[in-house]
Amino acid sequence: MSPGVKLCSAGVVLLLCCVLSLAVGATWIPLPQIAAAFVHPDPLSINHVLVTTTRLSRTLMAIFVGASLAVAGALMQALTRNPLASPGLFGINAGATFFIILFSSIFSLSSPDAWLWSAFIGAGVAGCLVWLIGNMGQGSLSPLRIVLAGAAIAALFSAFSQALLVVNQDGLDTVLFWMAGSLTERSLSTAAPLLLCAVLGLAGALLLAGQLNVLNAGEEIATGLGQRTGLIRLLMSVLVICLAGSAVALAGSIGFIGLLVPHMVRKGLSIDHRWLLPGCALLGAIVLLLADTLSRVLILPQEVPVGVMTALFGAPFFILLARRGGRYG
Amino acid sequence: MRLSLGALALRFSAPAWAEAGAAPLRVITLFQGATDCAVMLGVTPCGVVDSWSEKPTYRYLRAALEQVPHVGLETQPSLEDIALLKPDLIVASHFRHERIFPLLKQIAPVLMLEEVFEFKKTLAMMGAALHQQQRADEILNRWQQRVAQLCQQLQQTFAGRWPPTVSILDIREDHIRSYLPASFPGSVLTELGFNWSDSSREASGVSIKLTSKESLAVVNADIFFVFLRAQNAAVQRNYESLVQHPLWKQMRAPQQGQVWQVDGVAWSLSGGMLGANLMLDDVARVAAAQVAS
Amino acid sequence: MDKVVTWRRGGYSRRVNLSTWLRLAAALVLTVLVMLGSLSLGKVILSPLEVIRILFSSQDASLTLIVEQLRFPRIVLAALVGAALSVSGLILQSIIRNPLASPDLLGITSGASAAAVLYLSFLSATLGQQFLPLAAMLGAALATLAIYLLAWKQGTSPLRLVLIGVGVSAMLTAATTFILVFSPLTTTLSAYVWLTGSVYGASWPEPLALASWLLGICPLLVLLARQVMVQQLDDNLAQGIGVRVQWLRAGLLLVSVALAGAAIAWGGAIAFVGLIAPHIAKRLVAPGFAGQAVMAALIGANLVMLADLVGRTLFLPLDLPAGIFVAVLGTPFFLYLLIKQRH
Repeated sequence: MSPGVKLCSAGVVLLLCCVLSLAVGATWIPLPQIAAAFVHPDPLSINHVLVTTTRLSRTLMAIFVGASLAVAGALMQALTRNPLASPGLFGINAGATFFIILFSSIFSLSSPDAWLWSAFIGAGVAGCLVWLIGNMGQGSLSPLRIVLAGAAIAALFSAFSQALLVVNQDGLDTVLFWMAGSLTERSLSTAAPLLLCAVLGLAGALLLAGQLNVLNAGEEIATGLGQRTGLIRLLMSVLVICLAGSAVALAGSIGFIGLLVPHMVRKGLSIDHRWLLPGCALLGAIVLLLADTLSRVLILPQEVPVGVMTALFGAPFFILLARRGGRYG
Repeated sequence: MRLSLGALALRFSAPAWAEAGAAPLRVITLFQGATDCAVMLGVTPCGVVDSWSEKPTYRYLRAALEQVPHVGLETQPSLEDIALLKPDLIVASHFRHERIFPLLKQIAPVLMLEEVFEFKKTLAMMGAALHQQQRADEILNRWQQRVAQLCQQLQQTFAGRWPPTVSILDIREDHIRSYLPASFPGSVLTELGFNWSDSSREASGVSIKLTSKESLAVVNADIFFVFLRAQNAAVQRNYESLVQHPLWKQMRAPQQGQVWQVDGVAWSLSGGMLGANLMLDDVARVAAAQVAS
Repeated sequence: MDKVVTWRRGGYSRRVNLSTWLRLAAALVLTVLVMLGSLSLGKVILSPLEVIRILFSSQDASLTLIVEQLRFPRIVLAALVGAALSVSGLILQSIIRNPLASPDLLGITSGASAAAVLYLSFLSATLGQQFLPLAAMLGAALATLAIYLLAWKQGTSPLRLVLIGVGVSAMLTAATTFILVFSPLTTTLSAYVWLTGSVYGASWPEPLALASWLLGICPLLVLLARQVMVQQLDDNLAQGIGVRVQWLRAGLLLVSVALAGAAIAWGGAIAFVGLIAPHIAKRLVAPGFAGQAVMAALIGANLVMLADLVGRTLFLPLDLPAGIFVAVLGTPFFLYLLIKQRH
């Protein structure tokens, strides 16, 4: 099967998952009603309202957050030439979360715009720190070094987040659920700037895809071919911060999607970034949609935080990967 | 007079430290319910812990506790502050202070209560320890009378629909909590004779957390007692989006106009007798409004 | 050139670096001074002389209580926790052959946290808080065992240990968060304080229990200490010298987990001590495990004692967990060290 056909079938699967996400919840809404909700919306029908407000916003958020995280992971893996790079593992999620908590508790900012900016600052700070630490000392950027740097930074920011929450015990309950990753409904109007940011980031990444292939060939080859590696690297970093930051501002800290989805797509599709990035976006959206759908029904009437779901299912996958991977040594 | 008080104290198997005819005890209360009960008994503690909201003291207690120093948080009181105040009695809770009990014991005798929200037990035991047994009895009797009276009033007001089911909803910034019969407000409402929905009766624990508006149907009941956790914009917004949601409008209480806003501090944070009485005030107000409408 | 003396007694020989011993002595003096300082400060500020007087002859009942029962056990516990975590970190850094390894990474902290939160949310109502340390240690041991077994593929390599450690830690952290989110808020608060790491409310049985555990582990540590440096060589090279690499690694891992697990069991999940203190120790003392271990222990002890001091004096009457300030105090130091090391 050519990559194009595979991408199309992934798109179809995504559509099916969307429908599933719209149908599943506290009550099962059958397919004809979902169709009717979009074509002939009846303001008096509960199911129609649910589909067009609550469930639609959740579905859209899951798609964009999943796509952003997966593409951010792919970009990071290309940027650092490290197969273990991802927003979660490198402390970027933790940094963004910490800064959001910091600004919302110290400065009492609670608008989505404020969250977006604090998430960007946090993601940027964490990314820079990991880069600095990972590059310390002599020797090449071995996978081990930067993973450890990332883990240290992630632990640092979680410690600071915990510190803030212990001091400000009032906000603990609210923030806790969100920190674990939550896609609970946000009105589309308030989430709009965040979604816009994610869309822009995704578009930018797709545009850069060709350049990424060149960069991956190696430093000398790329410069030899006339690519301005410094500029490309900078653009990629900005995109990563944009994507990861908006994902965290929308849904809290969700891990493992940025790490595992690029691997799965690389294996199943192609390592050419022009196919890889769209593939990551699609598969990331699918994975998060399924995780969210499951988290909604597992312990009705309460909900599992979706970050917990991705960790519980993603970590064994990751362990399997680590066991098999001799090529990381 | 002093002798009779002492005799009363002895009759209720007073603990070892209670001497007949002792001077007013310096007492430090280490949880909200104890502070509340102390004030109700007419005893001003010589040290209290911070409140959960409306810091550092709840508004309804501020007048009584004006000059009283604070000894830190309920979860982590400052032991040095406590020691320096040289109290005669410390009132603590096993639930919160089990770990520091050996240290507290060395500072002063400790009255250790099991939980933090059993207000009647707290009142009775504190009454015994503070030589205010009579007063405690009076308060408890008055409570019984008030409950019986309110119960009758409610039965008359609701007539055929008695007993209606209730839900207690705590609105927070991004989710809602529904309090179950085992909780502090739940136990008071049960005493008044209200009924609970099947799902509330079957659920275990003190509260359930509803993060998605889709699960609202779980709290469906005839009457809603609602309070906002904090007076900030985010909670307001959440409440507004809640009442406009079609699933909310479909439930019995909103349809019958039986959604009542009550005082969150008394209903969920106080854990004491004064707070319980304030709850009764709120319920009485609701009953009166029923008659009016 | 440092002055080195060789000491021989029968079949046992040891090289003693005099400058190292001098620095260790200085660190010991510093530790005692910090202890004395911590004993003097708090809600009531006493002078060190008064403190010494109170310790040896009790006069004022409440002051004696404050110094001997409220402050002293807490300070000793903080010191022991710091020492154990630093030595554990030092050992791990040599096993993983990377200066960024720490007990937090190998599932020790997350395993203990998951077990502790589970215990606090569900079992503490019936069993009380006395078995909390046991639960924490069990959690740490199980998590590390799982990581070790999963990393085993005809032997373990440092990279695999780290990667699988990260994966298992992530799972355990997710489980911990899950339990926290759904436990009643009242337990969440105390669980959260535990997760940050705090020695609040320590009474004498606690540091004594921890001390007895540490004393129990010491013999094993001393036995393996001589071989730690060899462990840092490449696996093949070490085997060539005659070291049984896999056994050594397993043994050292066991010691490290036991030390960190015990420390976390009583002090809560204090992070970063195991990461920062060994670094500082390595810069102050010449290479050689014994010297570095003692220095790391002293530095770790001081770090946690100072963090606890700051937490309980700076925000009176609030008593903030030591874990917060370990991160706050240690991080700038850490970053400074790292950046300096680049050049």
